[in-house]
Amino acid sequence: MAYVIGVDVGGTFTDAFAADDKGNVHSAKVASTPPDFSRGVLGSIDALADNIGLDVGDLLRDTAYICHGTTSTLNALVTGDVAQVGFLTTKGHRDSIYIMNLEGRYAGLGQEEIQNITATRKPAPLIPKRRVKEIIERIDYKGSIIVALDENAATEAIRELIAEGVESIAVSLLWSFRNPVHEQRLRELVHQIDPSIYVALSSEITPRIREYARSVTTVMSAQIGPPLRSYLEPLATDLHDRGLRGKLLVMQGSGGTVAADEAPKHGITTIGSVLTGGVIGARRLGQQLGHKNIISTDVGGTTFLVGLVVDGDPVFSSTTILNQYELNVPMMKVATIGSGGGAIAWLDPGGNLRVGPRSAGARPGPACYGQGGSEPTVSDANLVLGILNPDYFLGGTKKLEVELARQAIKSKIADPLGLSIEDAAAAIFEIQNAQTADLVRTVVVGAGHDPRDFVMYAFGGAGPVHCAAYGADLGVKEVLVPLGQTAAVFSAYGLATSDVVLSVELSDPANFPVDAETMERNFTQLEEEVSKRLKAQDVEFQSISLVREADIRYTMQIFEVPTPVPPGRIDDSAVQVIADNFEERYASLYGAGTGFREAGLQIITYRVFGTGTLPFKPELPKHESQGGSGSPAPKQTRRAMLDGRSGWMDVPVFDYRVLATGTELSGPSIVEAQTTTVVIPPGTSAIVDDLGNLIIRYR
Amino acid sequence: MPFIPVPGSEVFSSRIRSREQIQNSVGDSVSLHHAKPDDVEQLDALSYEVIRHRLWAITDLMGQALKRMSGSLVVTDCNDFDVAIADEFGDIVQVGPYNTELAASVDLAIKWILENRADNPGIYEGDMFLCNDPWVGGGLHQNDVAVLAPFFHDGKLFAWTAAVAHQADLGGVSPGSWTPRAEDVFWESLPTPPVKIVENSRIRRDVEDVYLRRSRVPKMVALDLRAKVGANTVGQERIRELIGKYGADVVKAAMAKQLDDAESRLRAKLEKIEDGTWSATCYQEQSMKDDRNVHKIVCTLTKAGSDLLFDFTGTGPQSGMINTTFSGMYGGILAGVLPGLCGDIPWATGGLRRCISIKSEEGTLNNATFPAAVGKGSVASAWATMNAVTECISKMVDTSIELKREVQSVCCGTWQLCVMAGLDQRQQPFATMLTDSMGGGFGAGVDHDGVDTGGLLLIPMGKMPDVEMNEFVLPMLYLWRREETDSGGPGRFRGGVTASLCFVPHDTPVPMMQVISGAGKTVSQNVGLAGGYPGSSQVDIAVRSSNIEELFSKGIIPSSLEEVDGDLQILACEDEALLSPGDLHYMSWQSGGGYGDPLLRDPKSVAYDVAELRVSPESARNIYGVVLQEPGFEVDADATEQLRSEMRQIRRSRAQKAGV
Repeated sequence: MAYVIGVDVGGTFTDAFAADDKGNVHSAKVASTPPDFSRGVLGSIDALADNIGLDVGDLLRDTAYICHGTTSTLNALVTGDVAQVGFLTTKGHRDSIYIMNLEGRYAGLGQEEIQNITATRKPAPLIPKRRVKEIIERIDYKGSIIVALDENAATEAIRELIAEGVESIAVSLLWSFRNPVHEQRLRELVHQIDPSIYVALSSEITPRIREYARSVTTVMSAQIGPPLRSYLEPLATDLHDRGLRGKLLVMQGSGGTVAADEAPKHGITTIGSVLTGGVIGARRLGQQLGHKNIISTDVGGTTFLVGLVVDGDPVFSSTTILNQYELNVPMMKVATIGSGGGAIAWLDPGGNLRVGPRSAGARPGPACYGQGGSEPTVSDANLVLGILNPDYFLGGTKKLEVELARQAIKSKIADPLGLSIEDAAAAIFEIQNAQTADLVRTVVVGAGHDPRDFVMYAFGGAGPVHCAAYGADLGVKEVLVPLGQTAAVFSAYGLATSDVVLSVELSDPANFPVDAETMERNFTQLEEEVSKRLKAQDVEFQSISLVREADIRYTMQIFEVPTPVPPGRIDDSAVQVIADNFEERYASLYGAGTGFREAGLQIITYRVFGTGTLPFKPELPKHESQGGSGSPAPKQTRRAMLDGRSGWMDVPVFDYRVLATGTELSGPSIVEAQTTTVVIPPGTSAIVDDLGNLIIRYR
Repeated sequence: MPFIPVPGSEVFSSRIRSREQIQNSVGDSVSLHHAKPDDVEQLDALSYEVIRHRLWAITDLMGQALKRMSGSLVVTDCNDFDVAIADEFGDIVQVGPYNTELAASVDLAIKWILENRADNPGIYEGDMFLCNDPWVGGGLHQNDVAVLAPFFHDGKLFAWTAAVAHQADLGGVSPGSWTPRAEDVFWESLPTPPVKIVENSRIRRDVEDVYLRRSRVPKMVALDLRAKVGANTVGQERIRELIGKYGADVVKAAMAKQLDDAESRLRAKLEKIEDGTWSATCYQEQSMKDDRNVHKIVCTLTKAGSDLLFDFTGTGPQSGMINTTFSGMYGGILAGVLPGLCGDIPWATGGLRRCISIKSEEGTLNNATFPAAVGKGSVASAWATMNAVTECISKMVDTSIELKREVQSVCCGTWQLCVMAGLDQRQQPFATMLTDSMGGGFGAGVDHDGVDTGGLLLIPMGKMPDVEMNEFVLPMLYLWRREETDSGGPGRFRGGVTASLCFVPHDTPVPMMQVISGAGKTVSQNVGLAGGYPGSSQVDIAVRSSNIEELFSKGIIPSSLEEVDGDLQILACEDEALLSPGDLHYMSWQSGGGYGDPLLRDPKSVAYDVAELRVSPESARNIYGVVLQEPGFEVDADATEQLRSEMRQIRRSRAQKAGV
């Protein structure tokens, strides 16, 4: 028997998922253990072993690998609990990371925050200005040395930093991606003084043009490299001591993993670690179900994440925003668009009803949690509307207080507006649905797609309550609620199904037609490098694939479009194919005829993704119902309002556990599962598929 | 040169007209769809919020569409464009968050179309109008081209959508369409009053050719025209869907309520402030090349109850090429009102406008009469209007204990234009504008420092290019681009610092031609508030025939102009110059003004600023009266108190000498 395990660490819960090579799957959920999340990780594996009925040592001895989604790097950066870093950069350009191309004042903020312009601020500086040392050296756009590196002055600067007690040193010089000799020499100088200092070179971390994001990426890498190492090393040691023979792998924002012992070198790639499990899970499930275009919506109590799968692959972005800083981290595009079930309903100064973006979070949480929250949330409205069952929230493990929900809505919304509590709750529900549709549409259209070409997957505790409504507004083909064995731990399932993915890149900007030999040389160099790094993972792969990509733009424009590059030797005709690919991709993103071809094309960055396919993929088992076949009986009928137009109705409520494959329910209905509640509004029907998922279709 | 008005041009001068006046002019030519008062009254909270949010989302999609389809750097990179949705009378229900000055005067253009185009050639479903006449509205200068699209429902004119964007060149004697030499508008791009560019949902080729023929870059302008048509189409499809779901009357009622809501919220805010009068004067030096005068815009704001009167009496006569039209002044007012008073109020300018009246004399700098040169108006007198308005509003809000947290001193007071043309490192001709000067400083508030290199107040989402990207595209090598110590206006709260850059031509065999156009080099435009000092002024300095090559070969990278030998030349506000290989060009744009007396600044904050190189130890002592101990910049509390007391004594004796 061989297992693969996925462990997903969230703010509240740590989920574990295991699959064996016989088609069995198991899951476990334990409380997360901040600030040392590794205890929760070990605890979740203990619980998993319990569920399987194995001793944890036996489970680990039979485990091929563990894929771990970790928040540790993200948390470190958000809380500022990072290594003390010194920064070396080209003389005259220290302030790039403070100027932030000025967009740091608003990057990553929501529309309303941006409109309130006099309240916008830049984030706290990454490091104090005096801990940045300007180095006398200059290289130009061709990579030619204009001013030689002044080694004496540099040594002096490094000594000062070390005397101040820095733990690591980031080095980012202008045009270093073109000519890294000065950066490399600076590392030698640092190590001559103190070989124990962690050094991050921008020419290795992210050899990409645009010094602001490159410098930020390098500085943040240096900040989190040491703490990531001190989180992963003891965890891996613990796991191996307990019997693990396979590798511990860490999820990256790219949706692929990297070996835990290699991760700290490029630690910055792990910042999206916990965001992407859901999208990877959606993609894998989509492969099994034949869905190629998926909008993945993951709605928890405090976050609402949207990701896209197009033509079977997740949509990527080559940069990401963290704390308003721009980072060169190729990542799956996962947009955070709102605040989930904890979104607070409030009245603005004009007396208008608003929902979100502020959230009651996990503490105090919605008023109905009875944890001291007094502000009405979307969850409170859902409870008042009869959608949530006060006695069967999280499978009955958490009792909800209807009266507290009613009070909060009454005092904060209903009374001031002169509405009944029920009407106020209905308004909150519908506003949440409509706004979600607005925001999801912006994400989908912003990526150059039409929501009508997609199937939507809705998971997370709060998603299935609303998904039929916002799915209808978006015009998606159908909505799928994953409810089989994976329901509770969908992201952890995603982790267990992933592969090792590494990317390497290099900027070598040039105008088209680009010299074919230069292109060939760049890609060959990148392929050799990524192959070397895949080998260093020390993991047995079933197969390895290398995929090339180039960032290309029209000369007049500032944003590049990642463009697929075919494999094989690059000659002049291949260069033309790449140019055509770009124009095709551009037209599909921005509409036919919008390209400004007269401006000419420029290639900016070369990139190669290396994917090492892991030996086996969990197949989800067939759904087994606890009820018999035939049409199921509702466990109860209750008064509920499932949409504003239909008003209050007697709605049959079904226990998910008794629904057999092939069961068809027509709206209005409610399905209660242990982890979530699914609303099937009037005008829709839902069918249980082979795997136990609920598929909602519009009539 | 005497100014000769053009008879017949007055018809193009837009003014704010009432709905009744417009309804009368339109007559029976076009049937308008109106909101029913009962529907507005009875609109439920749910429908209102859903539709309000959807209208906002629609402007977002329109903005995205325009940006994605455009081929122009100022659109894609600098966000110098905007979109809007207006009701049947052109009253704006929602503007996008891009360049707010641009969308602000879209209503004037729509109202003008209703009054002047309804009977001939008529306004029909499937039409769109193009306008770049700054006297009509829809933009601030001729480079701002608006495409305004009526939206029909059941044969009635229901609403308008609009998209406006800056175009790189639309003719005139100089590339870029404005020149420091302009004596009147005939030196500049030809203003085009509203013409039907789209008919039956198709671009009219004859009209398009008339429009494009004037441009030096017609293909790029044609692409942007399609981007604007596309943005309107996207907006209209979505409005149609919205009506399909909620019904035309409900959607219209929500639009009407959004106008009422914006108005009543602004009024409620104004009611919290004591009545009074506040004034500000904003100066610009040089109205054209070789002019040696200073030109002023005077704004007196009177608040009575919940009404605002902006009175520009005292403003200087129109002069040279820094003028703007009434719609530029109006755009400048709204660009001050939106961030200054409406950060938390919907940007439904059609409703907000009801609280505002304007008094201004024609023939003045910000209410110029045809054929005055107005090509630079957007960054000259329209922007100066915004500065004066911002200063008045901030002074007014500062009197309210409840609201004063929203106060912000004047930000970077104008644009610093540096256009360069020559041969690039690939031996290809180039002509471009440096956009680094987008990174100005923000003004300080009553409880916070201004954002350092925070941008420009009227473009909420501006952006600077990376040094490497400019060096890749252009034949230049930066010696530095850095935040400037001591540039932020001193105050109890410090104005945001600004930046400077210095570069040499690199890898180009020939001199570059430069057009330099700016203001605020000798007068402060970024004034402080409540005793705060103004921020830094704009600077352009060239060093001719420098020894930079020699310094490089010796391993020296200068960090100040003093370290370089050569002929130092200070450039005027309006100038044209040649930058040869071996020359240096230095420029620094404006920072934000300070708030409150610098002697009241927390000494620890001064110490932190010194540690972070935003204030020099000298200024800490001389301006803030803070004495710091080396090393580590610890505050010497006793010495600081003594120094501050001495400085106050000097102030008192100075006041006595002056006989105050």
